[in-house]
Amino acid sequence: MSASHDIHHHPDEALLLAYAAGTADEATSLVVATHMHFCVLCRMQGRTLESLGGAMLDELTPAPLAGDALQNTLARLDQVTPYERPRRAASRDGTPAVLRTYLGGDLRDVRWRRMGPRLSFVELFRRRDVTVRLLRGVPGADSGAHSHAGAELTLVLKGGYTDVTGNYGPGDFQIADAGLVHNTVADPGEDCINLSVTHGALRFEKLLQKIAGPFFGF
Amino acid sequence: MRRPEGVIHGLFTPLGGGRIKLLIHPGLLCVISAMVAHAQRVLSRFPVPAIRRTAKLLRFPLKMTRPAEALEMDALLVRVAQCQDRAAFAALFAYFAPRVKAYLLRLGAPSATAEDLAQEALLNLWRKAHLFDPQKASAATWLFTIARNLRIDALRREKRPEFDPQDLMPEAGPDADAAISQQDGEGRLRLALKTLPPDQIAVIELSYFADKPHSEIAGELDIPLGTVKSRLRLAMARLKQALGEMP
Ligand SMILES: [Zn+2]
Repeated sequence: MSASHDIHHHPDEALLLAYAAGTADEATSLVVATHMHFCVLCRMQGRTLESLGGAMLDELTPAPLAGDALQNTLARLDQVTPYERPRRAASRDGTPAVLRTYLGGDLRDVRWRRMGPRLSFVELFRRRDVTVRLLRGVPGADSGAHSHAGAELTLVLKGGYTDVTGNYGPGDFQIADAGLVHNTVADPGEDCINLSVTHGALRFEKLLQKIAGPFFGF
Repeated sequence: MRRPEGVIHGLFTPLGGGRIKLLIHPGLLCVISAMVAHAQRVLSRFPVPAIRRTAKLLRFPLKMTRPAEALEMDALLVRVAQCQDRAAFAALFAYFAPRVKAYLLRLGAPSATAEDLAQEALLNLWRKAHLFDPQKASAATWLFTIARNLRIDALRREKRPEFDPQDLMPEAGPDADAAISQQDGEGRLRLALKTLPPDQIAVIELSYFADKPHSEIAGELDIPLGTVKSRLRLAMARLKQALGEMP
């Protein structure tokens, strides 16, 4: 799962900017940061947007601090310890480090929760109306046609899937706006594993899933 | 439309420091620096070492595209990193702490909190100075990321997920060519920023300084979300062009 060279679908400028500016929520930031693990182009654009942040900071009209602020800070310099980068254990299956923090380990150690014979999932976290999950489908598995109360962001970690908008492989990033009705079908080959961020509940078209969806927290 | 505070609206840009001061239109400077950067890229790939070296000489006019004060900040930060120079720290504090405070105030932090966090940001600069690499970013950019992360941590009480560069395969890292132009790139970026139309600058400003999703920014500007996104797309294309990246 290292940097792939043929990524066809990227986060848009607004998402990359919200991530660089620090205004994106944690869930959105996680899926953008994990895409950057795969995508050198978005990493470069991210750096450019941080430089833009630096330029914006430079151009702000300074807001003076209290008269003793510098003295107070100088007095504290001896009390602080130099920063050390946190050491992380290496992944055994190439799981991006940023994602491992949220999984508590590697992708291969995830305890999947079954949702029918072909689909499984695990919820990583939920904040207000935003939910972050890993979804897994065996080849040919389909999610069932659904629409969204809000935008759905999907990043392919392994395998791939296809819907009305196109085909998505490892590292590809899909932005499904609230209006889109789609049915995602896992591609042949290995299981498809996606990182998914949903704003609000999904709306399934089929009766069975309408009943089962809320039970599983969708 | 609300005139965003803080963005340079002057027609001309003062260049250089000390005895030489030039006034030049930023658009023209932008074109010149893009041409110099292109020449630099071509020369730095030349098979003859002597010619490759002349590429470095060309850095001078590119360097001038950043204000003298900003260049000085990079050098001061290196001094803090190398010898815990307190005088250098005090100078960095005088320049950046009021800007970080202004940044936090713009994002809606209460005055006392902004004051505390601005000091905290400069303490972080002291603690992390050894990680600063002037080849990769300017002091302003580096401090921006510190202030941004501090705000997410302290005010939003969230984490900021970041990809880990140690994850990457060596071949995916920036090549030497990219490293040469990184520093000059920030100067060209700032110049290009000055040539953007006001409606694009307004959207960028709100993206950094209003803690709102772009859908709400669209509401505030009374334009459709699609227009906000297309303005961002146009602005980014222009900035990337100035950096010499493919649009
Ligand atoms: Zn990308």
